[in-house]
Amino acid sequence: MIGHDVDRVDGRIKVTGAAPYAADTKIPGVTYGYLVTSTVGRGQITGMDTAAALASPGVLAVYTPFNPLKLFAYVQEQNDERLPPLQDKEIRFFGQAIGFVVAETWEQARDAAGLITTTYQQQPPITEFPGRTLQKFDEVEEVVGAQTLGDITFTASYTTPFQHHCAMEPHATVATWNNDHLTVYTVSQGALLVQRRLSETLGVDPVKIHVLSPHVGGGFGGKWGNWAQVPLACAASRALGRPVKAVLTREQVFAMAGHRPMTRQTISMTCTADGKLTSIVNDGVTSRGLGGNWSESVANWTLTTYASPNIRVTKTIMPLNLGAATVMRAPGEANGSFALESAMDELAEQLGIDPVEMRLRNYATLVPNTGKPWSSKHLDECYRRGAEEFGWSRRAKQVRATVDGDWLVGTGMATATYGASRGQASIKVRLYPNGTASVSGTAADLGTGQYTVFAILAADELGIPVARVRPELGDSTSPAAANAGGSNSTCTNGPAVQVAARSVQTELITLAVTNPRSPFHGKDPASIVYRDGSVSSGGLTMSFGTLLTTCDVGGVEAIGTSPRLVDPEHGYRSFGAHFCEVRVHRLTGEPRVTRWLSVCDAGTIVNTKAARSQIQGAVVMGIGQALLEATEVDASARFTNANLASYLVPVHADVPRIDVRFLDHPDPLVSGLGAKGIGELGIVGVAGAIANAVHHATGVRVRDLPITLDKLLG
Amino acid sequence: MRAFDFATASTVSDALKLARPGSAFLAGGTTLVDLMKLDVMTPDRVIDVNALPLKGIKLRDGALHIGAMERMGDVAAHPVVTSVHPMISRALLLSASGQLRNMASIGGNLMQRTRCDYFRDVTSACNKRLPGSGCPALTGINRGHAILGTSDSCVATHASDVAVAFVALEAQVVLRSSDGDRTVPLEDFYRLPGSTPERENVLGPGELITEVVVPTLSWARHSTYLKIRDRQSYEFALTSVAAAISLKRGVVQDVRLAAGGVGTKPWRLRAVEEALKGGVAMERTFSDAVESAVDGARPLAHNAFKPSLLKRSIVRALLDAAGVR
Ligand SMILES: Cc1cc2nc3c(=O)[nH]c(=O)nc-3n(C[C@H](O)[C@H](O)[C@H](O)COP(=O)(O)OP(=O)(O)OC[C@H]3O[C@@H](n4cnc5c(N)ncnc54)[C@H](O)[C@@H]3O)c2cc1C
Ligand code: SF4
Repeated sequence: MIGHDVDRVDGRIKVTGAAPYAADTKIPGVTYGYLVTSTVGRGQITGMDTAAALASPGVLAVYTPFNPLKLFAYVQEQNDERLPPLQDKEIRFFGQAIGFVVAETWEQARDAAGLITTTYQQQPPITEFPGRTLQKFDEVEEVVGAQTLGDITFTASYTTPFQHHCAMEPHATVATWNNDHLTVYTVSQGALLVQRRLSETLGVDPVKIHVLSPHVGGGFGGKWGNWAQVPLACAASRALGRPVKAVLTREQVFAMAGHRPMTRQTISMTCTADGKLTSIVNDGVTSRGLGGNWSESVANWTLTTYASPNIRVTKTIMPLNLGAATVMRAPGEANGSFALESAMDELAEQLGIDPVEMRLRNYATLVPNTGKPWSSKHLDECYRRGAEEFGWSRRAKQVRATVDGDWLVGTGMATATYGASRGQASIKVRLYPNGTASVSGTAADLGTGQYTVFAILAADELGIPVARVRPELGDSTSPAAANAGGSNSTCTNGPAVQVAARSVQTELITLAVTNPRSPFHGKDPASIVYRDGSVSSGGLTMSFGTLLTTCDVGGVEAIGTSPRLVDPEHGYRSFGAHFCEVRVHRLTGEPRVTRWLSVCDAGTIVNTKAARSQIQGAVVMGIGQALLEATEVDASARFTNANLASYLVPVHADVPRIDVRFLDHPDPLVSGLGAKGIGELGIVGVAGAIANAVHHATGVRVRDLPITLDKLLG
Repeated sequence: MRAFDFATASTVSDALKLARPGSAFLAGGTTLVDLMKLDVMTPDRVIDVNALPLKGIKLRDGALHIGAMERMGDVAAHPVVTSVHPMISRALLLSASGQLRNMASIGGNLMQRTRCDYFRDVTSACNKRLPGSGCPALTGINRGHAILGTSDSCVATHASDVAVAFVALEAQVVLRSSDGDRTVPLEDFYRLPGSTPERENVLGPGELITEVVVPTLSWARHSTYLKIRDRQSYEFALTSVAAAISLKRGVVQDVRLAAGGVGTKPWRLRAVEEALKGGVAMERTFSDAVESAVDGARPLAHNAFKPSLLKRSIVRALLDAAGVR
């Protein structure tokens, strides 16, 4: 069952609209909360006139910093806001939550919010990056030897703009209390993240907080944190004794629910005449929104990608008056790879070496910054197989050499790598008298296919059809499994599903030999074999459903725990190589991606269909990063294009056929399952490959994303 | 969104009677409802005109007549339109999305508001939305803004695609008010922003667009509508060009050109048309002729590329329309 195309078990309910998302939750007596947000980028609130709002029809309460809901300070860093909303009067960013209106209907709450007038003592917001020299908050250096000079030197700077996750589902939370027990339906990349945060800020025992997040309409990192609507809905519901539902508008999602920071990387490399790197220095600069703490370690991808005796990366943080920057699909690595993969291409061209050959000459057989061996690495096979299938050998040696009608045609390639690991996870598997099984853990399915991974692995281990397994995710009362982040779900939860599915077989056998109604009663457990959904011994075979029915038992269950991987001896990463063709119109300069091939080495692939979709989706997102996506900030510190008409994500017409190949070499060390992560791997290198293809097509090197036509008009 | 009265009109005279200062007609609602949700448009009365008999796509007296309540999608697919004026069909099909085109009307399309993000954000100043409050786009983010017909008060583009084709084809709009019907060339229907960017056209309060009349053109088959944008679909134009060209033995006899995405209104390119006449239809002729397209252009910090892009777009559109390489 493992390693085949399996349809998503939650596919039908999703396409028919039956899957309940947070905002779909219907609770009798629900009230609606609407966030009031700041209209300046920096300063202090001096006053808020809420009288008209309070007098407005249907309004139940208006909370502001002058009349706040008490929220205790945040303790756990969740890459989201530094401080809970409404607890102070400082404005750190445009669009910061400064009020919460609760009314009987959503329209009443929104209309009342519009009646609130706020006065500020304004200060000029800090928005410029990286023109102005700002205070350096922090500097990290990792040095592997000192820089020595080779024969050839190369230096260039690369920048990336602010970007937003733009998950289809906006952030939504519905909270309801029963005495001192809170039930919260919310968007989340991990129910336990919500439980922990709410416990801290509401001052409630976590066991009294039940979080439900069964379906999530895309996260990409934007739903890892718990943004303002989460604590406000819960605290207001407690104060009012009514359920409260709060859904952010798209504009609010842009302003306050996280973004990918702006970055600049200055890469200096030296190498020998035959292209062997002798040193790499990457000075990375990242923005940090003053609404939060998080910033990207944008240069760190340089530490682990190519062999070089000297590698140094630095990190400088530019604080800006913006909402929190947060993790967004392959944080640090998506931007980091754009710079290094562009620079490798530039250096290869300078030396007259083929880009694939350049990467093979600098192949890191050991982890470059630690000298440790890899758990497994077949990146060279990705390069070779990709080059072969793509027809790389036919690539023109010169830039701007291939023309098809009015289109300049170019090809480019890049390396993809993303960290792999295995955390601790516990999973419960339960067998039922009707012959079905459930598999539960607090994990989240953001559209990734995690439900189906649970079903496949449990079905495989139990020897029953996938259709008879019911995966249950996104419920904080389940055993603690991995949150959906860091490409960690399948590699962490997968082994735990296997452990639990094996343990439940032991429980079943124990029942078989101890239950007086069982035909196996009194037998030696060692004589009983579990296979394909049945137990057998000495010629007698009985399915677990029949056995449970015969024994008059409602079910057997087991919780299996797979421990965190602790291996200081090896480096763990997933690998891949992207190859693409880009066309640029000779007159009007539009760049269009027309062909794509990704070859991935990510260990065992559990569901090839969903895995392919993950890589394809990541490539689409990378096409957006390369050609379209940028959130603009003006001097007022607002994101000016905070809507889906002005912030451009790729549409179908921008996406060519994307071919994906998996090498499927199980990683022998990451777990028995052998699966490394794939969720983020696919976007790493995409922008670099496209930039390289654009250069090959046109001779123009664009070092500032996105690569829009105005940069190619020449 | 603010509370408002809602009325449904079943005849044009009903609609005109229901109209009053501060009211708005509701056609497909794809602009109006969108902007009402953002509090950008705050009519106190909304008059549904979907039931009005402003339908029909006909060829009459040497002109194509399109009722104001015809949907963009229906017009684009109509066999008379595709045969008489394929440029109109193409401009429509490159607009918005299939879902929007099924709702949006031709009258509403001509009346759509600018896509300037400051106009759409009520927390920012904007002379068009709030006269006298200032124009943040002048010094703010202005990559998508206009370079032609701008003023110190407003630099917003007119966003319609089909209006560009209509202007190239010298279409007229028929307007009806309680004073009766009047016919205005679409090019003159739109006003330049000057110091009153809030007044975008010559439509009187409560006046209705009933019909668009497009004269036929014997050489309209040799035409195209080219739309240049970052995203391949579902985006407004950075530049667009409506071009029709009449050739005799490879020599330009007549030509029509209008541009979108660059002007504060659909921009007819008469000087370029003149420069092209009598020239041999080839790339060199075209690129020589386009210089005057950007006469008087006032590029801003982020759209300095638009004059060049406009000229290149015109050349490309002419090559397509003329069918030469
Ligand atoms: C996401 C998105 C993308 C879009 N992309 C494009 C694009 O690429 N190209 C493009 O050209 N357009 C585009 N549009 C705009 C779209 O074409 C217009 O919204 C639509 O044509 C408006 O028509 P409607 O019937 O919905 O008008 P409504 O929203 O009903 O009305 C718009 C305005 O016109 C007035 N009005 C309507 N009918 C009449 C009439 N008969 N007489 C007088 N006044 C009238 C209304 O009072 C209102 O002020 C896009 C819109 C959206 C939302
Ligand atoms: S360009 Fe026009 S619409 Fe945009 S902000 Fe300025 S005045 Fe308003």
